[in-house]
Amino acid sequence: MKKDFTLIIDNDELEAVPMANSGIKDELQRWPLFGLSVGSFLQVIAMERQTCIMEVYLNADHWGHFCFVQGELYDAVCGELGGEKAAMEMITWENVRLNIKQILNASGVARKIDKNLMLLLMESSRLHDEIRDEGEEIDDEEVEEAGGIDALEDVEDEARYEKLSVCLETMAKDMGEALVAASISHIDDNKIVASRHDAPEATEAILRLTNFLKKSLADTKAEGLGEYYILDLKDRQSLFVLINDQYQWCVLFKNDKCTLGLLRNVIMPEALKVFNEIKIM
Amino acid sequence: MNIQKLNVCMDILKKDLGDGFVASCIITTDDGQVLLATDKANVAEATILNDATSLIRSALKTYPAELGQYYYIDAAGNMAVLVIPFGDYQWTVTINKKLVKLGLLLNIVLPAVINAFEDAVVS
Repeated sequence: MKKDFTLIIDNDELEAVPMANSGIKDELQRWPLFGLSVGSFLQVIAMERQTCIMEVYLNADHWGHFCFVQGELYDAVCGELGGEKAAMEMITWENVRLNIKQILNASGVARKIDKNLMLLLMESSRLHDEIRDEGEEIDDEEVEEAGGIDALEDVEDEARYEKLSVCLETMAKDMGEALVAASISHIDDNKIVASRHDAPEATEAILRLTNFLKKSLADTKAEGLGEYYILDLKDRQSLFVLINDQYQWCVLFKNDKCTLGLLRNVIMPEALKVFNEIKIM
Repeated sequence: MNIQKLNVCMDILKKDLGDGFVASCIITTDDGQVLLATDKANVAEATILNDATSLIRSALKTYPAELGQYYYIDAAGNMAVLVIPFGDYQWTVTINKKLVKLGLLLNIVLPAVINAFEDAVVS
């Protein structure tokens, strides 16, 4: 392994350490990066598709590391914790020092974290909020004014819908410039729950089409609409519409930059995996 | 429109799809009348899909985008439907999706039949 990054070095803090206390100085030199939150740094590494170990130091009793292969989070270790638990523990840390070590040969690195990094970050953020709010009493009157339990359910729905955007982000990351627009809608509620560059009227029009096909094909030998339909479009584009239970996925993509086979067999299953994880949460 | 060439289109389709071929039907988009249909063709379905094509064209305007050479619908059972609209005509092909690979259909069979269909229509 060799050291790779030297981004922000906190020299001031180093200089403030007395000469006699060289042990602390060495300790701080071991983690030279400072100034970004753990979450931000994790996203940078994922975006740059780095294969590295990111060491995190909060204090002498709290430190650990994340292991990335090609930008995917493979593992994390923090004290006696490992895998997802260790990652969740460290993501919330603030005012940490960091160090990056490049992994030259990742062939022996075992993957112990299957969850998408964005999901971990959001879940961690949610837990952080819950802890912050712990002890605070719900003001019954305010709830009543806001429409009671229904309003609370709406807020929960909105939070969940916000999370569903992660599925489209996952897809966008895999498809790159091949992805033109994408959306997820609740078919029965006729509601767009996540969207990426997709005009609401376009998604609504496709929802109407899906409902038409569902109803009209039900009475024919086709026995109803199946799991998907594909529209070949002009200018080397295709529209792939997937029906997943109560949800409709609408993906407009450039078919000269991403094949239908790749979308159906690799990209969509990955995005659906994230989607199902969010639904379970 | 050259009827003989249209029959040739059907023959190509049946030959290429083998046991995966279920039925096929060519209609006029104006009035939904059937021009040509195989034994098991579902005329009602072909007419519904004529309406679906209009709806698709209208929905795509919101993107904005235009329908290309075909659309493919995965049906609930073992069937799937391939629709090829061309000018004043629309060709609907019902296949057994368990017996026809989508890649083979879209990359091998479809280009051949589209060319033959267009040739038959403009003749």
